[in-house]
Amino acid sequence: MTNEKKSLWKNVVELPGNFWRSIFRNPLPSSDRERAATSFTNFFLHIQPVRVNKRTLKPTTTFGLGLISFYLFIILTLTGILLMFYYVPSTTQAYDRMLDLRSSVAFGIILRNLHRWAAHAMVAVVFLHMCRVFLTGSYKPPREFNWIVGVVLFILTLFSSFTGYLLPWDQLAFWAITVGTSIAGYAPFIGKMLKFMLLGDVTVGQEALLRFYVLHVVVLPVVLITFVGVHFWRIRKDGGLAKPEVEDEPKAITAPVAAPVAVSAEGGRKFTVQGLVRGAFVKVGVLDEDTVFSWPNLLIAELAVLMFTVAVLMVVSYFFNAPLEHPVNVMHPPNPAKAPWYFLGLQEQVSYSAFWGGVGVPALELLLLVLVPYIDRGKEGIGVWFSRKRFLANLLFLIFVVINVFLIIVGTFFRGANWQFVSPF
Amino acid sequence: MRVALAVFSVLVLAVTGVVVYNQFQSTWQDNQKAYFNQALTLAKSDVERAALTGREPKIEQTIVSGFGAQRIDRCTSCHIAVDDPRFDSAKQPLKTHPYSEAMGDVLKNGHWQRKHNFTDFGCTTCHDGQGRGLTVADAHGEEEFWPSPMLGYTTQGDWKKENADHLKGAAFLQANCAQCHTDKDFKGTPEVAKGRELFFKKGCFGCHRIDGLSAGTLGPDLTQIGKERKLDYLWGHTADPRAYSATSIMPKFQMTDAERTSIVIFLKSRHGNSQSESDVQKYVNKTAASVVLPESATALEGAEAAKMSQVERGEKLIHGLACLSCHKLDAQDGGISPDLGYEGMERDDQWLMAHFKSPRSRIPDSNMPAFGLPDADYEALTAYLLSRKTPPSNATSAELYKQLCSRCHGEKGDGKGPNWLYMDPAPRDLTSAPFMNSKPRERFINSLHEGVAGTSMPAWGKVLNDDQINGLMTYVEQTFVKTPRNPIKARKIPDANPQKSTPESIAHGQEIFLQRCTGCHGRKADGNGPNAMDISPRPRNLLNSAFVNKASDHRLFESIEYGVDGTAMPSWIDSYSQNDVGDIINFIRSLNATGK
Repeated sequence: MTNEKKSLWKNVVELPGNFWRSIFRNPLPSSDRERAATSFTNFFLHIQPVRVNKRTLKPTTTFGLGLISFYLFIILTLTGILLMFYYVPSTTQAYDRMLDLRSSVAFGIILRNLHRWAAHAMVAVVFLHMCRVFLTGSYKPPREFNWIVGVVLFILTLFSSFTGYLLPWDQLAFWAITVGTSIAGYAPFIGKMLKFMLLGDVTVGQEALLRFYVLHVVVLPVVLITFVGVHFWRIRKDGGLAKPEVEDEPKAITAPVAAPVAVSAEGGRKFTVQGLVRGAFVKVGVLDEDTVFSWPNLLIAELAVLMFTVAVLMVVSYFFNAPLEHPVNVMHPPNPAKAPWYFLGLQEQVSYSAFWGGVGVPALELLLLVLVPYIDRGKEGIGVWFSRKRFLANLLFLIFVVINVFLIIVGTFFRGANWQFVSPF
Repeated sequence: MRVALAVFSVLVLAVTGVVVYNQFQSTWQDNQKAYFNQALTLAKSDVERAALTGREPKIEQTIVSGFGAQRIDRCTSCHIAVDDPRFDSAKQPLKTHPYSEAMGDVLKNGHWQRKHNFTDFGCTTCHDGQGRGLTVADAHGEEEFWPSPMLGYTTQGDWKKENADHLKGAAFLQANCAQCHTDKDFKGTPEVAKGRELFFKKGCFGCHRIDGLSAGTLGPDLTQIGKERKLDYLWGHTADPRAYSATSIMPKFQMTDAERTSIVIFLKSRHGNSQSESDVQKYVNKTAASVVLPESATALEGAEAAKMSQVERGEKLIHGLACLSCHKLDAQDGGISPDLGYEGMERDDQWLMAHFKSPRSRIPDSNMPAFGLPDADYEALTAYLLSRKTPPSNATSAELYKQLCSRCHGEKGDGKGPNWLYMDPAPRDLTSAPFMNSKPRERFINSLHEGVAGTSMPAWGKVLNDDQINGLMTYVEQTFVKTPRNPIKARKIPDANPQKSTPESIAHGQEIFLQRCTGCHGRKADGNGPNAMDISPRPRNLLNSAFVNKASDHRLFESIEYGVDGTAMPSWIDSYSQNDVGDIINFIRSLNATGK
């Protein structure tokens, strides 16, 4: 009895400490072993390897673009959920809710600004991330499938942004979506049907608003999260960042790798490491000396990028308000009615040819993007910016980028009433 | 990395701090605190004082559901003293809303009682503005994207300065009074009544429809114009229509600023869904028979009018209706349309009646609307015009030109008289020597004598004698054409079309027309081809039957084969045989065949 009382008392005294340790299983690490343990025993950290290449941490290797995209997505999710508390996807109420957010809801304006600018930034950063991957040749085997996942993520990002564009229900939103869905209508055979399915009507109205809302807050984010999961998982499985081929042979450790490892002296069961894992990502036996522990090196780098992203967004959101134009007036289209900026390249192309500009060329470009890793299978120049050995591939890609950016710039700044050429100066 | 992390973390913290600080430092909170403080000094009892000291700023709002769509007015978050009579001499935003007997407020036992309670009406029902806003810019609607800035108070940044100066004052609020007080004689809305009167007096009703008021179809429907447009647009567009829409055919009406103010207030009051009208009444207005009599016309009915002769009644009508806000008659001149002084001599009663009923039946591109008056009124107007038989007083040719011709052809003879913009086809440029010298003098004398069918050029032969006409022509040649005429080279032109008008011929003519002519004359042959806008004089409207049927084959042959000097019409003689041209003429004639 006394023993039991004693132990109970002891338990109570030790409760805070036990509670803490049950959540954080490792003390602040002081040895390599503990640093490793911190990484793989933490749910949020175990997605990363225990050790990372020093190259990975060098800012110029990736400029953190993939990571920034991911953070922007997180920021968008959080601000989006908060905005959902105030938003009503109704043609009679949506605009009023925007007005409320702008002046009456506590922190409403900064919330909306963050969401808006993060959305624009995400489109841009995802695209830049794609450029980085291409220009460093990082889509090559074994990463070709992850490149496709990336292309899918890029398209999902565009659609998420596009569906969100309608929700404020102002003139800008209404006519941008009218233009955007009209471009979809140019697709052969399925175009008209696709447009009708998107809008739930022949014009943009209440049905379209509801559909875009559901797509924007449920369908697309869930699909996006799934693909982001696959994307990250594949990065690990494909051996982290693409690395340039090492000139000299990696130093081999003399440990008998392929030799059977005896589990117990008496037991007859024997395993080989090769028997468990196969493929290009086998690390056993090759200890890369250029690596450092993820904790705290990678973690600090990641946090720095996070803070950088948040800081830039906060500053931009503080100084620039998200646009809110006239309430929707179906009878008075602005001249010109413009799609969201990332589709203005398309709109510019459409102004030359509806089918080729809106469907033919973009579909071809997309197909090429998807097929790139299967067409370009050379092993050279991987992991290096603008490798000389990949001159042709990089040149072609840069031409593709420059043309599209050029079209977007022309569509954004140089097109006035009736899509006439105007000078912005 | 660690440094970067630290720097960015501090930056995030700093911006967050600023954002949080701003959230709790709004103008409306300051205003409320100022109100509490001032009210504290005015408070008479301890209870009142205790209540005031305990009060914290909070968003005040009225939910207005009685007038159209539900709206939320938070104006009283700043204007918190609107119903506190102790603040009647305070400064805005803490001033009491004035009490006024005109608005139905009553003084009872020394206390004012409002008729229009703010709890029922809110603020934006009368004032416009953005009720949900809590900053001055938002709430007053200063941002250009807000469709209804505070009436007569707030002007938006993109408004033209010359307009904005006219658009301030309490009178503009009458546009909103009229949302409920639709009675046209309502005492509180004199400006709306004046504007309504002008709407008829200036002839607006002829072109524009307003459900229940007018039935014009030439211009846009104005039933909801007050909801669709801001004051800036209404003022600017009535002052100079083409400054706002380049292709507008609306004339620049002459109006004083006071008149324009009234008409702008009247237009602003047109919301299409008056609160005091039942849905049934709205439906009745919307589907009303197409002929709605203008109020100024019906005002002329009655006992007094019955005693008048046709001519007297016509004279009364021509001054009472909108005629002279465009046309000229004696001393009155609207500066837009032809002089009516001699129309009675130049036209016959059939032409006048047909033209009244449908101006475009006689002048296909006329901008005069069919006003849809009863036939009796048209007969009276015709009778009056026909009764005017005094020719212009004898004078020199120069004086005659100035009196009769210069309104259209211009004092310099360049075809740009005060009303040239509203003429289609445009008045001939008499200074264009290449054209004037490429046609024989007889043709111009003939045009002067008999007028040009299908255009506004009347037959002066019925007003002037041959000497006067010859004198005018000589005056034009000496003053405007200047270059002496060379003998015109003989041209090989058939007097009558050698091609028979068969379906084959017409089809061949159409084929050529579609290949070669549509760029200027348009696919419909209406003179509105894609190049037409850049051509002066504009390409001929080949569907103008009155004109085409009057033009001889000889003239058409000459124009097509040799082109028209001084215009954009080129010569086709090298491209097409006489038979081809004959086919084209057959095609053009087939478009204007009567009974087709």
